[in-house]
Amino acid sequence: MREPGAVWAVVVLPPVMAGLALGAAGWDSVLAARDTGRPRALRAAADPLREAARLLLRPPRTVVAADRLLLRAGVVLLPAVALLAAMVVPLGDVMVMDPAVGVVWFNAMEVAVWAAVWLVGWGSNSAFGLVGGYRFLAQGLAYELPHMFALITAALGAQSLRVGEIAQAQQGLWFAVWMPVAFAVYLLSVLAMAFWGPLAHPVADDAAGGAVVEPSGPDRLFFLAGRYALLAVASAFSVPLFLGGGAGPLLPAWAWSLVKTAVVLGGLVWAARRFPVVRMDRFAEAAWTVLIPAVLLQMLVVGIVVL
Amino acid sequence: MGVISRLARFAAVRPPVFVVTAPGGTAVRLAVEAVLRERGWRSVASPAACSVLVVCGRPGPDLEQAIDRVWNEVPPPRARIRAVAPEREHLLPLLEQAEHELADLRRHRVLRAEENLAEEQGGHQEFGHEHHDGHGKSGHGHHGGKVAGLDMAGQGADRDGLKLDVLHVQLGPVLADWPTGLVVRTEMQGDVVQRAEVETCAGVGGGSFWTEPWAAARDGEPVARGAAERRRAARCLDTLGRLLSVAGWPRAAGQARWLRDDLLADHPPERLAPRFAQLSDSVLRSRTLRWMLRDLGPIDAASALLVGDAADRLYALLVEARTAMDLLGDPTPLDPADEARGVPGAVPVSLLPGLLAGADLGAARLIVASLDPDLDRPAAVAVHA
Repeated sequence: MREPGAVWAVVVLPPVMAGLALGAAGWDSVLAARDTGRPRALRAAADPLREAARLLLRPPRTVVAADRLLLRAGVVLLPAVALLAAMVVPLGDVMVMDPAVGVVWFNAMEVAVWAAVWLVGWGSNSAFGLVGGYRFLAQGLAYELPHMFALITAALGAQSLRVGEIAQAQQGLWFAVWMPVAFAVYLLSVLAMAFWGPLAHPVADDAAGGAVVEPSGPDRLFFLAGRYALLAVASAFSVPLFLGGGAGPLLPAWAWSLVKTAVVLGGLVWAARRFPVVRMDRFAEAAWTVLIPAVLLQMLVVGIVVL
Repeated sequence: MGVISRLARFAAVRPPVFVVTAPGGTAVRLAVEAVLRERGWRSVASPAACSVLVVCGRPGPDLEQAIDRVWNEVPPPRARIRAVAPEREHLLPLLEQAEHELADLRRHRVLRAEENLAEEQGGHQEFGHEHHDGHGKSGHGHHGGKVAGLDMAGQGADRDGLKLDVLHVQLGPVLADWPTGLVVRTEMQGDVVQRAEVETCAGVGGGSFWTEPWAAARDGEPVARGAAERRRAARCLDTLGRLLSVAGWPRAAGQARWLRDDLLADHPPERLAPRFAQLSDSVLRSRTLRWMLRDLGPIDAASALLVGDAADRLYALLVEARTAMDLLGDPTPLDPADEARGVPGAVPVSLLPGLLAGADLGAARLIVASLDPDLDRPAAVAVHA
């Protein structure tokens, strides 16, 4: 049934990821245009492509005494990490690899985002970039533990860390249905790891773009594309974890995976616009006193059911 | 036509814009923002992100210098617009010209070659400029050596008694969603503002766009109350848009600004009222916003409108806007004394240093946005001077 290691999966993965990332960016542009009363809002769907073209035509630039090596490392790390994480995300029954510790692999890749954002913020030699870096580290401290417990809860439900087996364990009932708290926490952490919407403080405009205040040209393109890719991949990962993977009537499994991913991704982009940004000096406390106990309780319930 | 020039044409459509406003340039800024919104040009918050730099009004020498430094940070292809009048006939050709310039890559190659030549001849002019207004780069300290001609950051004890780098970061005058003409010099450790000093740009206090109806009424011109209330409501929505934007809620900020533009474009009240009600409801309902604004920048004296924290000021602003919205159709002549009824923006900037000390950068920006001092009003700068 499962086909890890299919050669064509390696070929298909980058364009699918790019397509989802571009779709999310276009959808966000259209929503933004509609909300500000712009006529023919649908045309805004092409704006991300224009932005990409603009950045390709621009020379990269750095300020005096910027640490170019660290900056570039961080900028390239972001899309690279998204791609590596996507390797364990199944498209229907096909995935690049299905290691016994797939969930841990995904988690490890996503933690590398901490390094990427910090390197970009620090390497810019800009006070605002530095502030953005600090903000992301604080955010990491707030979301990472609830996020890991949410991942482990799904793994516990399937009694496996293998992503393919977690998806198959939901033949009867989706994990999202009987682990709603873990699912909700996971969705929140998707926004947090892609520093998106209410969790976009590390790159917020109040600090003139925060971590991404300085990068321009291709540097900026890598960073922004990597961010969209992270959002897309993390959304896609919720499908095998909580939404039954490729299971569904009529359509083939890969199509169901894509449909479910698009719904989660589109929903997150839509919902994220409805909240102001949350600052970690206030949110971190709630994350530790509310989210962690809640998701631990969820894990306890799942543990008892599985026993 | 080659691939590159096709790409340049494609990329030149609806470019990202960084808007800078000079003291006295509010009317121009509002007109520019309205035109940008209609055409779908995005406003961005940093020079690295923008392709077009729009200067609204006529900057004095100090602001002009700051703008030049920011312009130097905008990578090519780029265009600079000087908007000096609020008329559409003035603004639209400027935008078209900017689009045209962005699409013309040959021009940028020539400009770059000239710049490189000038740099070779003139040595490293940029060398050693350590901060860029509003985009405070590495600050300078007292000791710690030099890197690339810049002083390293000095150190000092922070609020927890840890030794941390002290960065000198200047906020404004060129900063997105920031009061026009305001400069706050801060000493920051990490992202916490330890000390703040307030300065103002040349040209502030020259009379505000927002109080024009009352000034006209004082001069004996016939002004309908409804027209003045329209201006007042627009002012509230302008401040609201700024506050929501700083609060990282672009959707609600965009709606507030759209409504503000339509108010100033004399749309009929019955079309505006439901939209305002919807916006006001969504802001009032947002528990996240309340959670984030609570306890920021508490004030216990001054006028009734200012008392409380940033959240209280947000809600007072909404009440003020609602009252004004209800009076849009009032044809009775305006009583000039009515101006005093809690127009936001008359905040003395001398309040700021005390409020900002100890706040982190995010909180400090929210405090300033919640007060949104209007430095074109003599009252806002008077106490300070």
